[in-house]
Order: sequence, then C-alpha cells, then structure tokens
Amino acid sequence: MKATWMACVGFMSALSVMASHTGVLGADQQEVPQTGFTWKDGAEVYTKICALCHETSVGPILRGRELDPLYIRLIVRNGSRAMPAFRASEIDDHSLEQLSEYVSKSAGAK
Amino acid sequence: MASKYIALPNGVSEKIFDTAVKEFRGVLGEANVLVSAEQLAPYTKTMMPVSETNHTPSAAIMATTVEQIQKIVAICNKYKVPIWTISTGKNLGYGSAAPAERGQVVLDLHRMNRILEVDSDLCYALVEPGVTYRQLYDYFQEHQLPLWLSLPAPSAIAGPTGNTLDRGVGYTPYGEHFMNACGMEVVLANGEVLRTGMGSLPKSNTWQAFKWGYGPYLDGIFTQSNYGIVTKFGFWLQPAPPVYKPFMIQYQDEDDVVEIVEIMRPMRLNGVIPNSGVIAHALYEAGVKAKRSDYVSGPGSISDEAVRKLVRDHHMGIWNVTAALYGTQEQVDVNWKIVTEAFGKSGKATFITEQEAGDDPQFGYRAVLMRGGMDMREFNLYNWRGGGGSLWFAPVSQARGSETLKQMRLAKGILAKYGLDYTGEFIVGMRDMHHIIDMLYDRTDPAMTKAAYQCFDELISTFSAEGYGSYRTNTAFMDKVAHTYGPVQRHVHKMLKKALDPNGILAPGKSGIR
Repeated sequence: MKATWMACVGFMSALSVMASHTGVLGADQQEVPQTGFTWKDGAEVYTKICALCHETSVGPILRGRELDPLYIRLIVRNGSRAMPAFRASEIDDHSLEQLSEYVSKSAGAK
Repeated sequence: MASKYIALPNGVSEKIFDTAVKEFRGVLGEANVLVSAEQLAPYTKTMMPVSETNHTPSAAIMATTVEQIQKIVAICNKYKVPIWTISTGKNLGYGSAAPAERGQVVLDLHRMNRILEVDSDLCYALVEPGVTYRQLYDYFQEHQLPLWLSLPAPSAIAGPTGNTLDRGVGYTPYGEHFMNACGMEVVLANGEVLRTGMGSLPKSNTWQAFKWGYGPYLDGIFTQSNYGIVTKFGFWLQPAPPVYKPFMIQYQDEDDVVEIVEIMRPMRLNGVIPNSGVIAHALYEAGVKAKRSDYVSGPGSISDEAVRKLVRDHHMGIWNVTAALYGTQEQVDVNWKIVTEAFGKSGKATFITEQEAGDDPQFGYRAVLMRGGMDMREFNLYNWRGGGGSLWFAPVSQARGSETLKQMRLAKGILAKYGLDYTGEFIVGMRDMHHIIDMLYDRTDPAMTKAAYQCFDELISTFSAEGYGSYRTNTAFMDKVAHTYGPVQRHVHKMLKKALDPNGILAPGKSGIR
C-alpha cells in the first residue's frame, strides 16, 4: 500500500505520517528521554568506520592477515601517517577490544 | 620534579590545575577526565607541519549533558582554565582534534550524540554535537525516511554540528552548510543557555523552520568563533528526489577552467545545476587511480607533461567537472539537455554519465557524495604523495572564469617553488567558488615539512595581497589569516570576546580571537 502511494505522489508527502519522528522539541519543551549512540559490536565498528577506507583501496586490507589485536588497538588510538587517530569517545575501549578481535580473526575478503 | 601532566594551560600552575581536574572529575566521573599521555595521544595527532608539542592538550574531558557543561564552564572560570571544544574531532587537515594552543583542555562532546528530532514534513533535524553523519544516515535508512544529507568527504566519521560551525561545505544542493543551519542552543561562558532565533520564544515550534527570530541574528557569531559552546544544532535536510543524475564533464587544458566557469555560473544562478558541484584538477582526483611515484622521481613538483600522461593513462580530464541533476524524470531530462548543449558548444567537453562511467572509482565516489552517501574514497588524496601531511588552503574566488584561472596559476606557482603539487578543486557556488587546495607533503621528511610550512605561509600572504581571503584555516595559521582581514574586524571580534567571555576560557586562539 505504501509503495503504491509513494509511486503515485512521490516520496515527500507520502511519509508525512512519519513527521516529527523522534518527538517535537520546541523552544521550552522537555527533551524526549533517549540514550545516545553506542556500538553494538566490533563488526559494526569495522563496517561503519574502518571498511570505508580499508575495503576501498584508501588504506591497506586488514582482514585475513591475523594482525595482532594489540597492534590494531595501538594504531586506532594513535593513527598512522594519514590515518586519523580515534578517541575513546568515538570507539570506547570495550568496542575497540571487540573490533581488534574481530579484525584479527576475520577471514580475508572473498 | 616532573609534572604529572603532559602539558599545562598557559599561566595555570600544576597545583591549581590539580584542583580543576579534581572538580572536573566531581562533575563528570573519573573515567571521563583523561590526563595520561596514552589517553591523550588521539587528541594530539595532526597533519600540520608544526610540532605536535604546540598543540598538546593538558587533559580531555567528556561531557554528555548541558548541565555538566554549565558546571565545567563554572570551574574553568574559577581557575582560568581554557577549554577547546570538539564535536566529532575530525577536522582533518585543519587541526583535527588538537587544541589551538598547548595546554588547553579539550572538551570532547562526541558522546553527547542524541538525534533529538527529525521532521520529514518540514525536512529538518535537531541533533547534539556528537552526532555523526553516519548516525543520521543510518537513522534515515532504518526508519525509511526520504531525506538526504549534505556532507564533506570525511562523511561517516564527521558530523553536521562541527562541520557547519567551521563553515564547511558539501556537494549537494544543500552544500553551503551554514546557509542551511537553523537554530542553535548555546552554553555561554557565564553558564547561561541561549537558544537562538525562534528558540528563545516560549512554546515556539518554528525553531528549526525559521532562521531569523527577532532582533540581531546571532547564529553567525557562534561559527568559526569562541563565544559559546553549541549543545544543540538544527539544520535543514534535502527531500530525496525521485530521480538523481550525477555526471562528469572532462576538459583537457588548464586554461579551459575559464570556459567551464563561464558556462557553469549562469546554470548555478538559475538553478539548472542545483548542487555544489566541483571543478577538480586532475591531481585532486589522481590518488583514486594512480601513485605519484609512477610519474615523478626525485624532488620538485610534478611536470605538466607528466600530468598529461597521467590523464591519458587513466581516462581523466585535466579538469573534471562533477555535478548532478535532481528532480522528476521530466525535470532532469530538460536540464540535462540544457547542460549538454551549453557545454557541448565548443567541442572541448567529454560527457560521462553513470552509463559511461561503469565502476570508475573517480566517478563513483563523487556520485555517492553528491547524494549525501557515506564514502571516504576522497581520502585517496593522501596516497598521492604519502607521508601523512595535509593542510587545506582555502581561498575564496569569484565565480568568474578569469579569476579562477588567475588563482590556479598563482597557487600552482607558489607550490612549485617549494616542490609541491597543485592538488586543487573549485567547489562551485552561485557567485563564489571555494578554491580548495590540499597541500600534501611527506610529514616524515623534516625538510619537506619545513618547506610546507613556508609554502602555506606564502600562499596566505600572496593571496591576501591580491585581495583573496581564506574562508577557513588550520589551527597553526589562524592568527595569520585573521590578520589579513584587517584591524577593525579583529577589534570587533575581540570586543565581542571580552563581553561574552571575559575570562577567556573558551577556545582562546580560535580564528585568532583571544
């Protein structure tokens, strides 16, 4: 039903029911309580950050090389040449541990 | 006795700083106040040709609420401790996450990252400073919202608050980001919380719909400045168009930039080309397809002959125009006819659409960025020379062909003097161009690093002497660029600073303001 509706009138008006998606926050209204973003696991960090360079020829391939997890953590926190450093506020210590294990144990790209 | 800190704020004793740190911990908790060298390493790395000791923070503190930030500024006022606020901290090539001055405390707001509101009728979002473009992109996908972002090349790891507050640009019809900012919440140095525009009016529901409010428009003074800490940021989103047609037009002579600009300006002004497209020099795009060492051996900048070989080898233009059309099929068809007729007249242009491009990576990354997608392949720039050195030189040009050619030649000549390449592009506005040059150098080579510093200094001096001002700069050259805009503007900036932040606790040095 929604697909037909969208095809008829275009994207913009079709989803009007979804407006104010997270609730309205007017000038003096209370914020909608919700928590901030946190990583699910190491694979998510890899897919949403690392892969954008390390699976696209910008940076070297990491998967399938059995890299030392400690080495991965050091490079992430310190950066390397043009690779930026990533702070604990971006990738928390627990997620970084999961990420380094994930990359270290991952199979190479097929 | 050695200090327990890797740096101290200017004029603050270790004993006083101990007390401030203790109070920061009382507000934020032990885990959110970082002082060790290991913890601060990611706050120290930059790509600039200056010693990292110039930009080493004394501490980094992570806040997540407005109330915490109010308490932090109270502590900073009490002990005269300066703070350098970052949101995602990915101002790469402009200073990254490091503070302007040694010893400043970095106030890291990346974990203050809630998406507070997305309105798909009025097409706007209200976010906290740590929200990344990736977070918003995923949110739109998850909730099937037909909304598009405009973002810079670091896309997934950067965010709208920091990029817009530094007056960054993207590549979509909403590419002039501050033009599309609407409403901020700002914690002032005295702890008061200001909501700009309509946000100051009780019960208003137009904070993100109408920019101006009543009385002097204040949002501008919180960009590229140090007058407050932005804790909420509203901005407009592009409704996803039914049809999107990215295209590339290649020209094979540097002088052709005159023709390109003269054809493109009227189409930007009348809306036929609605987005901030780019006119990229071959060397800006080369890293996607080639290595510099395949074309240059030894010192000195790359020769014109080598650049011509490069473009022949990799099917590039000396100039590569990328832009896009957005709308219904009928609108896109009509506008494509206008574009091809205008650019086709001289016979110099080669047209490339998705059909011709196939999986060409140069076309591919541009096409993703012009629809606000996640793509960081522009970072191949850094592979062109290697060595991790990058400074963005960003003079503004009129959108006039003769001016763009003059600026290109001027920059190329200065860069060549220092053995560096012209790695530049023009981001096309209606009346202006952001002339963006990534001054790439090998940061592991001390001689080249020194040359890079001198080159950047000369670029600013020479361009400003010609009347060409930079729209943005890195933390090592902020005073120099501020100086080019003359004493009266600096004085006004200083008076505002004194009025809003008399103790000078907020990011002293930003844009040369103290």
